[in-house]
Amino acid sequence: MIPLPSLSAALRVWRRDLRVFSKIWRGALLPLFFDPLFYLVALGFGLGTYLATINGVPYREFIAPGLCGSAVMWAASFEVAWNAYFKMEESRLYDSVLATPIEVEDLVLGEVLWAGTRAIIYGTTFLVVITLFGLVESWWAIALPPFLLLGGLCFATIGLAYTSLIPKMDYYTFYFTLFITPMFLFGGIFFPYDRLPDWAQAVAWFTPLYHLVAIARDLATSPDVLTVAGNGAWLAAVTLVAFVVPVRGMRRRLVA
Amino acid sequence: MSALAVHARALSKAYDGRVAVDGVDFDVRAGECFGFLGPNGAGKTTTMKMIYGLAAIGGGTLEVLGRDVARERRQVKARLGVVPQDDNLDRELTVRENLIVQASYFGLSGRAADSSAREALGFAHLEDRADSGIQELSGGMRRRLLIARALVNRPELVVLDEPTTGLDPQARQTAWATLERLRGEGVTLLLTTHYMEEAARLCDRLVIMDFGRIVAEGSPAELTARYRQPHLEAVFLHLTGHGLDGYGRARLEALGERS
Repeated sequence: MIPLPSLSAALRVWRRDLRVFSKIWRGALLPLFFDPLFYLVALGFGLGTYLATINGVPYREFIAPGLCGSAVMWAASFEVAWNAYFKMEESRLYDSVLATPIEVEDLVLGEVLWAGTRAIIYGTTFLVVITLFGLVESWWAIALPPFLLLGGLCFATIGLAYTSLIPKMDYYTFYFTLFITPMFLFGGIFFPYDRLPDWAQAVAWFTPLYHLVAIARDLATSPDVLTVAGNGAWLAAVTLVAFVVPVRGMRRRLVA
Repeated sequence: MSALAVHARALSKAYDGRVAVDGVDFDVRAGECFGFLGPNGAGKTTTMKMIYGLAAIGGGTLEVLGRDVARERRQVKARLGVVPQDDNLDRELTVRENLIVQASYFGLSGRAADSSAREALGFAHLEDRADSGIQELSGGMRRRLLIARALVNRPELVVLDEPTTGLDPQARQTAWATLERLRGEGVTLLLTTHYMEEAARLCDRLVIMDFGRIVAEGSPAELTARYRQPHLEAVFLHLTGHGLDGYGRARLEALGERS
């Protein structure tokens, strides 16, 4: 097991990241924000006009909530990939942090919370956009941001675990090509899962995006509270269990 | 309270089977400047890292400011200042922000963080560069900022790993003056160096380390007297000159007779 992190120490790490972000947010926000917007326009309004409805829902309305989930996934993953690796191995910023009363578990929690914060910013901004487009039909969507944060924390923890274990930055190619991009394409954003073979549904169940997209689509339409809670519990449980990995990995790497 | 800032007994550390520190004993008294002299790879940095919590203790005991580092690392680190060998300043923040954020890591916020940052800036004579980016600073200024950063929590012990390596002579003089002022304020200093001149000028006592072991201990004057060498540099080469090339041997001969 790992020592319990100190929330106040973790928030000091979080505040440093917030301070840096407050200087660069214009440049940082735009690309990741336009990304899901382009998919929505190209697929929803472009391809979607050639498609019939999916389960009675117009195609653009079908994919819009799921894109909130993918915005969260990309935002959290970028933050704990190159950004974190740079601070760990290149600028050695983590060394200077760990020479203060902040311990590895606090540092990991702080970075995960920060990546989750970025994720909720991007995901919620996109939620506002699709609402303005008239693609959200249920008031339940107001309950989505906390789940976007939860999803962000989950992706951040998994990504930081990967960062703590890889020997060099080149390994992110594998992470994004073999994990993040397939989730984006097959995680249930662009087509429904119930028509796929059982094995494909089983594989999808093991990926975080599948659960986040399911929550987003449920809340944007007519949610079944128990299903939403079940998917949320999946994300929370995976986040908690996976949290051990980056703490151990970074401890071995930075304070062994 | 113990009058010892650091108390190490049979302290050791191995990385993947390679012994870096091989059972060293030393005591650093509160208020003194204590030096670790030795060639590259002697185990100085590893010893420092065990003191400031960036390396787990391999074996033996290590007490810093009266506390067992293995069990109370967080409490120990709260009272330390650390100047690392490599510049790990936060390049995404300005000079002042580096200090304010550092203060926040120690739990200082708002006005307390601002005032301790201002004080540290003044100490390192960097007031007029407060809003500069790190990239705009010269090597000497960055080193002074690293020293300033180590002071924001008003530490009782400052650990400096090769504080002047890579600096030009002028910047080195400025860094030394800064450290001497710090010592004048009663802060205990623990530094590693491979400059004899630095050790002779700053250190009250020092140890010479080689292959993970301490091979000599004393004040600069005691060491030159004990080994009957004219300078600290000659003592150093005498004790650690096992791998000398022709030039080194000639230099050793020139410096003094072998005892």
